[in-house]
This record gives sequence, structure tokens and C-alpha cells, in this order.
Amino acid sequence: MTTSKEKCRIFNRKEKILKFCTDFEKSAVINSFLKRGWDQVTPHEDWNIYWSSTLNCRALFNSGTLQDNQFINHFPNHQELVRKDLLVKNIRRYRKDLEKDRNPVADKYQETLPGGGSVTRYLYLDFLPTTYVLPTDYNIFIEEYKKFGQSTWILKPCGKSQGDGIFLINSLTKLKKWFRESKKHSSPNLSSKDVYVISRYINNPLLIGGKKFDLRIYVLVTSFRPLKAYIYRNGFCRFCAIKYDTRVTELDNVYVHLTNVSVQKHAEEYNSEHGGKLSLNNFKLYLEGTRGLDVTKRLFKDIHWLIIHSLKAVTVVMSNDRHCFECFGYDIIIDDNLKPWLIEVNSSPSMTATTQSDRILKNKLVESILSVVLPPNGIPDVRWNKTPSDAAIGDFDILIDEDALYRNKFADDDNDNGKKLRIS
Amino acid sequence: MEDIKDDAIHHTAMKLAEEIKNLSIYKSFYSDVQKLVSSPNVKKEDFKQTLQQAMKEKGLDTKLRNTVFHWVRTQNKNKLDPLTSLSKASAQWEKRIHKSLNSMCSDLETSLAKIRPQTEHEELAEKWNELSTYSLDLSKYRPVYAPKDFLDVLLTLSGYVPFTREDEPKWEFAHLPLQVKNLDQLRKTYVEWANGEPLLGVNPNMPSIVQGFATLEAERIALGERVAALGYAPVIQEYLKKGSPQCLRARLWSQVLGAEVKQQQTNYFNQLKKSVLEVDLMIDKLIFKDVQLTASNDDQYFVFEDLLYQVMLCFSRDSEVLSAVRSLAGAALTVAVKGRHGPDCLTAFPPSGVIPFHGFTMYATPFCYLYDEPVQLYYIFRAFYMRYWHRLHYISTHPQGIVSLCLLYERLLEANEPLLWIHFRNINVNPIRVVFKWLMRAFSGHLPPDQLLLLWDAILGYDCLEILPLLAISILSFRKENIFQVNTLQNVDAVLADLSTISVIPLLQLALMKP
Repeated sequence: MTTSKEKCRIFNRKEKILKFCTDFEKSAVINSFLKRGWDQVTPHEDWNIYWSSTLNCRALFNSGTLQDNQFINHFPNHQELVRKDLLVKNIRRYRKDLEKDRNPVADKYQETLPGGGSVTRYLYLDFLPTTYVLPTDYNIFIEEYKKFGQSTWILKPCGKSQGDGIFLINSLTKLKKWFRESKKHSSPNLSSKDVYVISRYINNPLLIGGKKFDLRIYVLVTSFRPLKAYIYRNGFCRFCAIKYDTRVTELDNVYVHLTNVSVQKHAEEYNSEHGGKLSLNNFKLYLEGTRGLDVTKRLFKDIHWLIIHSLKAVTVVMSNDRHCFECFGYDIIIDDNLKPWLIEVNSSPSMTATTQSDRILKNKLVESILSVVLPPNGIPDVRWNKTPSDAAIGDFDILIDEDALYRNKFADDDNDNGKKLRIS
Repeated sequence: MEDIKDDAIHHTAMKLAEEIKNLSIYKSFYSDVQKLVSSPNVKKEDFKQTLQQAMKEKGLDTKLRNTVFHWVRTQNKNKLDPLTSLSKASAQWEKRIHKSLNSMCSDLETSLAKIRPQTEHEELAEKWNELSTYSLDLSKYRPVYAPKDFLDVLLTLSGYVPFTREDEPKWEFAHLPLQVKNLDQLRKTYVEWANGEPLLGVNPNMPSIVQGFATLEAERIALGERVAALGYAPVIQEYLKKGSPQCLRARLWSQVLGAEVKQQQTNYFNQLKKSVLEVDLMIDKLIFKDVQLTASNDDQYFVFEDLLYQVMLCFSRDSEVLSAVRSLAGAALTVAVKGRHGPDCLTAFPPSGVIPFHGFTMYATPFCYLYDEPVQLYYIFRAFYMRYWHRLHYISTHPQGIVSLCLLYERLLEANEPLLWIHFRNINVNPIRVVFKWLMRAFSGHLPPDQLLLLWDAILGYDCLEILPLLAISILSFRKENIFQVNTLQNVDAVLADLSTISVIPLLQLALMKP
């Protein structure tokens, strides 16, 4: 009896055996390909999909052209979304562009702060906590800081991940001191590791069981122009191992404040049975049960809105290479008014599994990604219209498909010379 | 004939009126009525009529009806269990548990009960809302017993066989002279399900047959809002038969069980908390251990561990629980409180009379998806325990008790899945072993919370636990092909280990609908 894997290979042999290579020795990735009957090869050989690290893919894009049947799991300049300072820059620019076009989405209002001053906020596009880039915005920040009164800010280095190098400050003197120190060590030409962002710390996060958490949501983008993005149904909440505490002495206690699993893993209270992760479905169940259906629905709508606009903010600058797809990891914090805030977007979300259920999730995630990204015949092809069938979408939901929206809009036209896009 | 009936009703009404005076709500209820009487709406000339009208408007009418409803439900015939072998076994089991506790206590050189030292008292009070940070050395404490141990005791119950045949296994519950329903009788109980009526747990998005609602869910939500606003418990119970939307469950469940929280309840809870802080019972360590072993390790419930500590600790001090389960539990263990003198020096151990076993916390965990505040969580858990859960871990002949449920499971399996039944005999696996842990825990911890809550809707709606063995059979039936392929208990367990993909309500409705 031929197994499905063997059937795959027999089929492929008629065409060609499909090959993948990966920079990560992660079973979630490797097993998903092997299950489809693909062969693993090295980067120098002819591969069809390269599940690469950010470093390697940059080299790849710089070196040569890719064939029509080669896909890669990053967009060439994904740092526009993923690097904290570039994300800020792009969102600021996007909002200004919408304002210039007098788009009501960019409407603003004045908020009076406890410190006395007032600040202008966007009504619908206020999903990024107030952020400044250092050292560029240093002087502007000092001015603005005075308006906020007693407040806590979080400093994050742009070039690092996994919670590395992040810390909180709650006084201007502390910041000034840090700034003087850092200037001594930085080079004259600022590299990404010398650039920081400083954001208003969300000090009223929504707590469950007294614990702080953030959401990790996976968003697969197969094209930026037109924008095609899919949101994975099985996201999760990452909880801090110990109770949330706003006391000043706890500011340095990273286990309370930072929800990155790599940080939490080292806390004494970390539990490897559940890894501090609660499924998004259970989170929804809890919110509905304790707060009601309407507020839950609204929260999720707001989350989708946030993701869509963050992606729209970078569509003009993203290189829309048809060989590319990317699964981004969105980190979102919800405050106790049930408002979601975008903390950051990750480009190679950790494929390391921390618990049994996590392993299953990551496996399914990669499988689902492949299902969306590959044409019906399973062979990568840049000429395919990137419109997966409903069955192929599987555990993803369509977040936005501008292609389909555009087509549907003109499908209503009865005229033959309606402006139908030729999809090739 | 009518006269006799009227007399009987009158007699019951008089009795009821007397009984109500003893209930805790009586005082505030009476003063509410007095206030109404002094209002202009109530007229001396037509006292009865106007008073009744005014009561209806103020909701006192509903309150009274609910009170009667709850009172009727809590009337238990406190007679001794008719089956002496069972009551004997029950007493013996309780004795064993007490002995085990005592020996654990002397092994660990501690006291069963003692006054808590001041520093400990203060620390506990300070950390009350985050007891997961209260460090205790629990390494030497073990749960008193686990579901497996309890099952072994139950299996010895059925040891009496009048005639032994060589090929007859000795472990069947069928030898007990207890009456249980068969599938046709269950269909009469769960009549709405058996008739194929639309249930929320099957497909909430199916189009509604009622005008004005797009989906079944929307229809149920609208109906549920009205039912919740009316607040009349029997109507809510009826509503729950077809499943409740998650957004209304918290309200509806509290109302149907009479577990709403007012100031009186909050005060009582605080008293229980005080009791926990003052006297250190060895059982506290067992409670801590159980929460740590079960809820804290569970990826569906770990978030709520701090709430659960509070609830479980206070529960152990609640003597009102003892009065509800007294007919089942033997004499509660009474111990001296070390450090206390005089008339108060003895206490029931624990005051609730309930000695927790491994996994006991799981009776409370699913409620965390409905209530985020400890007092409400406490009262709903307590109400469920006093009405349903206690039956799952005490031995009795009650038709809803664990023994009857096991027998029901056995009978249903043999009658409706004969091939599976034979298969189990062939591989020499007692079929109850495979599902017992599900039954004893009402599936908590085995089903994902959303499915579990739908199941518990049905328990409330039909006010009976018979759905548990029915679900067990349905799951076995669903996975029978896989079960046929294996021939050891471990492998059968493996086939049934992961229930995360089970859709509980469709499976049950399928079983109940005639083919």
C-alpha cells in the first residue's frame, strides 16, 4: 500500500522532485516539507522553497535572480515593518499621507494629559503607543515628556530581539544618564544597534488572573500590492510568570513586565507544562464569558484593523517581489479599556516549540503556510495569481485581499470594457 | 378526591411557609414586603389583590417563586441508604481515608489542626490574592487518594456474585441491584435532543427558523436575554436544555442555582477567609498541592490559579457544605485544634466534611471562564458541588450517584455497542477503567472549556448527571475502529487521551436520536 508520501513522490517524479532548504534545524519546518514528499537540499543546490534566516535571505536577494519556481519566506526589505524605528517612521508617514488626502480615517482629536499639556491623537489610527526614535528624536522627546507628567517609558534597541536589551525608565534624569552613557559607546555612523525607540509604557494592561500578557498573532502576507494577508486562527496569549506589579521597585523585575517567552523561561515560576501560553480561543471564551459578546467582537475587530493599517503603512515602500511570502508575528498588548496596542512585528517568529501543544501549533502553522502559499498543483510558480482555494486557506482567515475586493468591485459592472485587472 | 388533593396542597403550603421563615433570605424578603405594604399601591380594601400585584411589579413575586423552586430541589429524604452493603462500604472507605490522613500527619510530625502563628497569619493575609507566590514545602505531602483508588473501592462493591461461572468476570456493576435507565428511557428524559431540535452546541451559525434572526446563536441570545431579565429559575432551567451562549452563561447559571452574590454572601465568604487565616488545617497543604498539580499545570486553566487557591481554601472551611452532604459522608472527622482551649477546641476536619482527592480542584476550574471575581466563583462552584459534584465521589444508591452512573455506562455499552463490549472482554480490560476518570470529574480537564461548558449546560438544564455516561459511550463509539485495533489498557487510554477534537453536543444528539 503506497503511503501518501510515496504518492506525492510518484506524482512529483513525473514532474520533478520538489526541494526545500532551511537555515533552521527546526522540526516544525522540516517535517512539514517531508510530509509533502519534498527533499531537503543545501542552499547551493536548486531549491524550490528556501526557509531562510533574515541574514541569509538578504545575501540571497543581493546576489542573483530567483527562478520562477523558487519561493523564499521573506520580503527583501521586511525591516520596514519589523525594525521598530522604521515601523514608527512608516506609520507616521502613512498617517500624514492620509491626512493630506483628507481621508476621514486620519481624523484627529485633542487629548488632555494628566501632566497638564494636551496632545493630538488620531481617532482611528492610534494603535502605536507614543514612540520616539533615539537618538534622532531625543530633543523632541524631552519636550514632549514634560507634557506627560509622571509616566513610564520603555526603551528598546532596534537591532535586537527576544527581549534583549529592553528596560524601563520612569524619570527624565535616568534617561539623560543612559543617553550620555550610550553616546560614549556608539560609533559616529549609527548602526541599527545604536538606534533605540522609546515608547510610552502601557501601565494599565488587561490582566487575567492578575497576570499580564500579550497576544501573539501570526499574519501571513503573500503580496503587498495588491495587499493579501491572512490571519492565523490559532494565536495565543503569552503570560508573565508572576503577578503584575506597578511598584517602582518592580520596574527592574523583567519577569513581571516583559512577556517574551525567552525571558519568561528563566523565571523560577516558569512552567514548562503550559509555557505561560493560553490559546486565543480560550482568551475569546474568557472575554465573552466575563465581559460579554459585543466588547469581545469589538476588540477583535480593532485588532484586525490595527494589523491591516500597519500593513498598509508599508505597502508603498515594500519591494513586492513575487518570489516572496512572509509570516509575521504580531505582538499586541491589550489595555484595561480593551484597546489593543501594537508593540512590534517580528519577521522570523520563533519556530521553537516550548510545550507539547506549542509543538503541535508550530507544525500546523508551517503546514498551513505552505498550503496557502503553494499553487493547487503544489509547485511554486511566480505566475500563479496567489488566490488559494477555500480549502487551501485552512486554519487561516482572510484578513484582507485587495485583489479579490478589486475584482468583485468590477465584477458588478456589466460592461465588457469594465476595468478588469488581468490576473496572470 | 379533589378535597384531599386541595388539603394536601394546603398542608404543603403551610409547611413551606414555615420552612421559608428559617431561610436566610427571609428577613430581607419580609422587610421588602413590609415596605410594599406601606406604599400607596397597596390598598386595605383589596389587600390580597393589590399586594400580589405590587409584589409582581417589584420582582418579589419572582423571588418568592425562585425560593420555593430552590427549596423543593434541596429537599432530600434523609433516610439511610437502603443497600446496606453500599453504606457499609462507604463507611469503610471514609475510615480508610481518615486513617490515611492521620498517618500522614504523624509521619510528617505535624498537627491536623492548629492555630496559625501570627507571622504566618500575616503573610497569608498579605499574599491572599496571589497565593501562587506563597511558598510551602509540599514535597512530603501526597494526595490522599486519586480516582483510580476510588474506582478500586467501587469495583469491590460488586464482588458479590451468587453463582460464579468460570468465564464470568467478577468486575461487573451489573450485579448490584440498582435500577438504571436504558437508552430509550434516556431518550424520554432528553426529549428535546431526541426529537432533533436545534441545539446551540451543534451549529450556532445555522440559520434560525425564527423570524428576525439570522442565526440560531442570535435567536438564542435574544431569548436568553429575556429569560435572564425575567429571572425565573425554572424557565432558565428549561432554556439551558438547548445550550446557552457563552455571554449569558454566568448570569443564567447563577440564577438557576440560586447562587447569586449579595452582601450577605460576600460577608460569609470573608468569614470563611478569616477562618482559613486563623486555623491551620493540614488539609491546606493538600489543597495547595492539588491546585499546583492540576490547575497550575493545565494550559487551559493555569492563568486562574490564584483565584482557585482562594476558592478551594475557603470551601474547606464551609460547614454549610457539610450539612448538604451529611447524608452521604459518614461522621466527619473531629480533631482538636492545637493551641485552642475550652469549648471551641474541637473542629470538624475539615469543616466542609470534604476531603479532597487528586484532581478535586478541577470541579472548580471551568467556572473561571465565567467569573473573574473570587466570591462569585466560590458560590457557583459551591452550588454545583452541593447539587451535583458530591455525588461523583461518594458511594450511595442514589440514581445520580457515581455507582449508578457506572452501572448505567456498563448497561448502555453492553446493549448498544455489543462488539466493543465483547472486544473489552477479549482483551481483558474492564471497560469502566477506560472512562472512570471522565465520569468522576464530569469531564473537567479532559474536554476543552468551550465543549465542557456546553456539557454542563445540559447537566443544569436536565438537572441530571446521566449525560456523563452517555457521553462516555458516544466517544467510545466514535473511536471504536481505533479501539478495535488495540489490545492493552494503555493503548486504549492512548486512543482516548486526546478529546480536543470532540464535538460533544452533536455526538450526544446523534446517540439520542432514533436511527
